[in-house]
Amino acid sequence: MVVVDSESATILRVKGLLEFRCQLDSTDEQLVRNAISRTFETLRSQVKSESCVLAVSDSPVIIWPNKDAYATPEEITPSTPCEDMHQWIQADEQETSGKKSSKKKSKKSSLSVINLRLMTEVTKPGPLSAPILTKTVLKSHFVSVTLPLDCVVRTGSSDTIKEYVLYTKHLLIEALTHQLCEMEKVTLQNMKGMTLLVPEPVHFLLPEPKGLVTVVYPAGVPDSQLVTQRKELHQQFDLPDDRPYFRRANAYHFPNEPYKDGYLRNPHLALTHPTLDNGKVYLVQGIYSYHHYMQNRVDDNGWGCAYRSLQTICSWFRQQGYVERPVPTHKEIQQALVDVGDKQASFVGSRQWIGSIEVQAVLSHLLGLTSKILFVSQGAELASKGRELANHFLTEGTPVMIGGGVLAHTILGVAWSETTGQIRYLILDPHYTGAEDLQVITDKGWCGWKGPDFWDQTAYYNLCLPQRPKVI
Amino acid sequence: MYIFFWSADEALDLSKLPAFLVEILATVLLLLNIFHEIMGRGYIVQDDVEGYLSKLCEQKADPVTGLLIGQSSTQRDFVVMAIRTPQKEESAAAARNSVDKEWVTEHARQVSRMLPGGLSVVGVFIITDADAKDALTTLRQLLFAVENLISSEHLWDPADDDVTDCVTLQINPKTRKTVCRTFDIKDPKSVAKPADWKYQSGLCSSWATVSCSLNVDMLLPLLNNRTSTGNMEECLKEGLKAWAHQIECGLCLIDGKRLPEDSELTVIQRRNLRQTYTAQLLITTENKRLTDVIQQCGGSVSVTGAIHSRAYLHSNKPKARQAEKLLKRDVVSTVATRVQMMLEELLASDQESKGSCRDKQQKELFCLPHRIFCPLKVSGPLCVCDYQFSDEDLSEVPERLKEMLDIDAAEEDLDTRQEMTVEITGCDVTPEPTQEKVEAPEHKKNYIGVAMATAVALLATAASMLYLNDI
Repeated sequence: MVVVDSESATILRVKGLLEFRCQLDSTDEQLVRNAISRTFETLRSQVKSESCVLAVSDSPVIIWPNKDAYATPEEITPSTPCEDMHQWIQADEQETSGKKSSKKKSKKSSLSVINLRLMTEVTKPGPLSAPILTKTVLKSHFVSVTLPLDCVVRTGSSDTIKEYVLYTKHLLIEALTHQLCEMEKVTLQNMKGMTLLVPEPVHFLLPEPKGLVTVVYPAGVPDSQLVTQRKELHQQFDLPDDRPYFRRANAYHFPNEPYKDGYLRNPHLALTHPTLDNGKVYLVQGIYSYHHYMQNRVDDNGWGCAYRSLQTICSWFRQQGYVERPVPTHKEIQQALVDVGDKQASFVGSRQWIGSIEVQAVLSHLLGLTSKILFVSQGAELASKGRELANHFLTEGTPVMIGGGVLAHTILGVAWSETTGQIRYLILDPHYTGAEDLQVITDKGWCGWKGPDFWDQTAYYNLCLPQRPKVI
Repeated sequence: MYIFFWSADEALDLSKLPAFLVEILATVLLLLNIFHEIMGRGYIVQDDVEGYLSKLCEQKADPVTGLLIGQSSTQRDFVVMAIRTPQKEESAAAARNSVDKEWVTEHARQVSRMLPGGLSVVGVFIITDADAKDALTTLRQLLFAVENLISSEHLWDPADDDVTDCVTLQINPKTRKTVCRTFDIKDPKSVAKPADWKYQSGLCSSWATVSCSLNVDMLLPLLNNRTSTGNMEECLKEGLKAWAHQIECGLCLIDGKRLPEDSELTVIQRRNLRQTYTAQLLITTENKRLTDVIQQCGGSVSVTGAIHSRAYLHSNKPKARQAEKLLKRDVVSTVATRVQMMLEELLASDQESKGSCRDKQQKELFCLPHRIFCPLKVSGPLCVCDYQFSDEDLSEVPERLKEMLDIDAAEEDLDTRQEMTVEITGCDVTPEPTQEKVEAPEHKKNYIGVAMATAVALLATAASMLYLNDI
């Protein structure tokens, strides 16, 4: 096995739908299970057969993994390096066809992914036997499911096409058959009488060196009913049991699958972090969305900054899998405060500001979360809160809402030196009114590192530090 | 600015002419263009057809109708054979003098099943000395009826580049004068457009052949309490439609290569003098089913096995995209035809199971007929095909070919090697009930009835799901 350097690793992802069909001519449980297992066995042999084909998406390369055959344009030979294979994959839909461009992956972005489609060849060299029609008349049950296969295999990218095809295809077929076994297990586990749940694979990116892991969950079963499975997984992968890694919301987002909601994720990753003498950088963990003025056609310019910061925090909890509730709107936030008795009913629909205390109340009422409040009587004191903020990002890792003077912001991290006391704050500014342009947002400092002079030195500030629930 | 006259050798430089003359020229050319369009299609016809039609003119019957078989593409139209409508035995003498529209269309439907991909019924002809306008009206009716019936049986959607013009040919048996017109069958109000009809020799040898052998593996539920043959037919039709869609969307490789759509087949092998290509089809399951995962059913029906499929393209610049389209359509129609033929057989010979057997498990296996090819000419790749049921004798095939397609073929000429027959002998499955051989009268349209032998077993070739009584 090629030693995989995570910087240069390539992920091969095979996706495809397989039809699962069988007739259950008895309702006896054991016979039903046998029939289901038999059908899965048929699908496994189909995947291992010569009629199984993998087509590399957005490219003209087609591979038969179970025999020594592939269809490619003439320029690709077995000894072409894989880097060049990227040339055949169109990086962008906006590129004109016929143009071959190499897929450049910046170091900051995640893994490089090659997508493959699972196909079946229905033609075979003849002559073969003419068809037979079989009619079975029996009161029974018919099972018809489309199984969504989705496997990943990690390889080093320095292989040549030949090694890729010869070596990797075994891994891909193994991965597919293994996934079918997992699907069989999950299907049988979740069979109740004559109902069957479709097994769905989900990918999770675990901390290195574990990497991408695929788990098969039964469709339609909410996270709350899968706690036992998650406990087993945490044990199996030696993960701490106080934070979720395997909730559906934790599913890994592949680089070629853009988020459909239009929000930017983790814009701070595009920044270069400051280096301080003996200093360390402590950042928010996980994924959040950037919420700011004017989004969703709500004109909250001048009054909504704390609401937007709160929305950023809610998006963090949703994407880490702690809550399923979508990010609340301004009205929903206001209604929540009315519901807890903090505001009068007329508050809803108004343009009144809120502060850290209100943020804490909403997080508690709508999302069931606890938060700590940190108070500084003067902005200048914030410089001395380095240790506390660093600890917060180390243990909780949640975005912090800070309100004071007349402004609210979100703190995403600190760079702090224990010895010199130097401190920088990574700020996400909700006052931005423009479009979701990462370049502008980072260049103009809407997401950027600020010094202690960023704060109004005489105003008082409240910070809301949301706490992670200790659940998986 | 230059205008090229289509008959002039030199271009005319318009900048030297006064403005009004330029306008006149433009109008004249516009009219010429329209005229040129009205001139319509040109059919290139195998010269044998002339002799065949001549012979028909010498017969005493009037009118004589028939079908024209060939290929129409956006570039060219070809006709490779003409087939007279067979005589109806029972028809009275009087009726012989008029055109039986239903008989003609039924004949066309049967003929259409015997044509491999690329060949189709492109038009109808009539030999009569009746008034030209009446004849044209009759021809128009026949044409629309024939084409509508044939396309109603198609399991695929029409493509944008399909040619919808079809030809009518009227021949006066005494003067041998031919009148050739086309109609757009997509337009019920279409009017006749003139067309060219030119005979040419050697047409039958300049064709490219694309073929493949393809596995079919379908398993479909039968609804509760609806397991009669009629309902099995509905269920199979639905299943075939879904399968046909999969085939239509499948990826096609020709001689192992994936060709860009507009490229020509000859790109693959320049030295391929015989112009035969092998295709591969790769399919995926497209959409996720939203219906119930487990449903109650009254049984199931499966079709498993393999078929040989073939399509012909005229070899003057054959396009990869057309080859793919024609081959896929042949794949779908050959399977649909065989299933349809089997169902017609079952309905005709009344194979319904009787009430007493309803409780027990009942499995019946039916061999679908296999495909046999027959060359149109001694030289040249074009073939027609027929389907032979497993209990029919090979000698019946030339008889059918003569009756349906009016071609003389000997048993030795037939190509039976493309598909193997499956032997069904002795079995473990409890047969229900005893079925005797049914001797059906020879019908012009039906193939001889098939009945199941009492003891059956399967020579397994494909991975299919069989449920035996004692699992």
